Amino acid sequence: MKEDLEETLLENEQLKVEDLTVRFYTYEGIVKAVEKAKLSLRKGETLGVVGETGSGKSVTALTIIALTPTPGKVEGGNIYFRRGAGEVVDILALKEAALLKIRGKEISMIFQEPNAALDPLYRVEEQVAEAILAHRRAEMMQKVEALKPKALTNRSSLRYRLPVFKRFSQQKLLRRVVREEILSLLRTMEIPDPERVVDAYPHELSGGMQQRIVIAIALACSPVLLLADEPTTNLDVTVQAQILDLILRLKKAFGSSVIYITHDMGVIAEISERVAVMYAGSVVEVAPVVEIFKKPLHPYTQALLESIPRPGSPFKPLPGTVPSLVNPPSGCRFHPRCPFAMEKCKLEPPNLVEVSPEHQVACYLHTAGE
Amino acid sequence: MTHTVVNIKFWDKQSPRMKELRFILKRMKSSPLSIVGLAIVVFFTLVALLAPVLAPPQPNRNPYMIPRYGYSPTPKPPNPVNLFGTTEGQYDLYYGMIWGTRAAYQIGVLVVAISALIGIIVGGLAGYYKGVFGEVLMRVTDIVLAFPGLILAMAFVVAFGPGLNSITVALILVWWPSYARLVRGEFLRVTAEDFVEAAKAIGCSDLRVMVKHVFPNTIFPLVIMASLDIGSVVLTAAALSFLGLGAPEGYADWGQLISLSRNYITGAPGNPFAYWFAYVIPGIFLFLFVLGWNLLGDAFRDILDPMIRRR
Repeated sequence: MKEDLEETLLENEQLKVEDLTVRFYTYEGIVKAVEKAKLSLRKGETLGVVGETGSGKSVTALTIIALTPTPGKVEGGNIYFRRGAGEVVDILALKEAALLKIRGKEISMIFQEPNAALDPLYRVEEQVAEAILAHRRAEMMQKVEALKPKALTNRSSLRYRLPVFKRFSQQKLLRRVVREEILSLLRTMEIPDPERVVDAYPHELSGGMQQRIVIAIALACSPVLLLADEPTTNLDVTVQAQILDLILRLKKAFGSSVIYITHDMGVIAEISERVAVMYAGSVVEVAPVVEIFKKPLHPYTQALLESIPRPGSPFKPLPGTVPSLVNPPSGCRFHPRCPFAMEKCKLEPPNLVEVSPEHQVACYLHTAGE
Repeated sequence: MTHTVVNIKFWDKQSPRMKELRFILKRMKSSPLSIVGLAIVVFFTLVALLAPVLAPPQPNRNPYMIPRYGYSPTPKPPNPVNLFGTTEGQYDLYYGMIWGTRAAYQIGVLVVAISALIGIIVGGLAGYYKGVFGEVLMRVTDIVLAFPGLILAMAFVVAFGPGLNSITVALILVWWPSYARLVRGEFLRVTAEDFVEAAKAIGCSDLRVMVKHVFPNTIFPLVIMASLDIGSVVLTAAALSFLGLGAPEGYADWGQLISLSRNYITGAPGNPFAYWFAYVIPGIFLFLFVLGWNLLGDAFRDILDPMIRRR
């Protein structure tokens, strides 16, 4: 069984999402939030995922760590993930116990609202420590053991021998070790005055600082895959640039692959190597970032790029609205808004096909021959 | 690595906990009623704690049993021996009031604490695991809520046999659903927050998320409700005692002492208030106890409720 999975990923692939289908069962009907989405991510790569609100970006990301928001249900597809040790697993087939070891350790997530992603009741130290102790307790205990002889030689050595106090003292040493670890992590996050910040409550920090803490928690265990769900959307533009810069540099330092979700084409151009464009729950185009901007093939990508406001040129919004996902249009979900729609588009959804090296698109305009 | 660790101490003026404490004190000072409530509750707490000093029990005797001063049925007015007088059967009212405070605290705190615990477990599970499991738990809760509380409690007491322990158990059985509802609502609110998702995303188990992240964020409304409820529980217990379902005769229990004065409420011929002490004194104790806890609960709400509090 394991060997079978080994072959599903190419040597340099980190993650492959195949035909992922997620549906929400609500009172209004079945919301087809993600429909046969395909994504693949190479080791060390940054993949930008763009799309409007409701295009299924966030649901896809949450499903990758098997935290599909209720009442969502995964109806089909596979998510193959290469673990840190090289073993390939299908996330959707894993048991909860195995997932607990992957979440936060091998795949972690940065959320959109730093303010809401931190528990208001705990100090920064406690929140970062939670992530460290969840996955790196053994490593921390080793450091405690290394510290112990020193503590044993001083005059209060009795504290470390009496069983009653032993646990307590060990706890104190552990806290010291973890605190050191957190401080060095916060320094990597370029947080000024980390000694003050570790003792602060989330509400005492600015948005940019909170987001740095969230990133610190996400990177606490050096994950191989980082899911960033619009981490800069709610920040000031200047802070946004700092955070983007930070994510890019940390990604290199920690050797993680990144899936960066946003609706901001500017951010995409800045951060990603390849781009996946999502529309109404499906991936419609995947290409290297330069190609997306220079030679967009899918009519939706073209419209998306044209709708970026530019000084001097008239504002060209995309006509129409995102379709209801309870009753999505038949065939290609973009056809009601597509200027090039053909009869065929209404009948059957096009597949994602490679039209030139590295460039895949799901549109009959470009795959008509096949 | 050497660096100065700036440790903000708990008692520093700028530490968040200290700021919160000062805010609470400021709020309490600005509302005289909460001071009154606090004073009443402190008074009753002291009385309950100091009961053996204020009214020393006779040795080798259940301290909750009120000493008698004779067997005449007619209550005696306050005198140097019986500070508050005696009630029917010559039970000393002063002793009854002092030890009755202890009994009231026992029943109030016990019922509220255990009901809240059951409510937290049931409501928490129902709020965290939505879907069929949660629905079943909440429908069971609804079934208990559908019965009028006092009547159901009476039915339980009759089934268990009269006594203070029966009253305690009966009140717990009747009281927990309101806590389950409250906690479920709060769990639903908090589990929708991003930090719960974030905690799961770093690999916290469900139990850890519930205990460490969801529950602490629901504690304020729970504290408010518990403090408001202590008064009502004692009042309901007194009502059950008054109906004769409570402690054996002579037990220090406010409801029963009011019940004993029942025949003397109309007074003597020509003097309708002849036996006022027999019902006014226990009544005032009960009234003040409930009032104190209600005022304190209101004060807690003003201080803790994020919808009402304004910085």
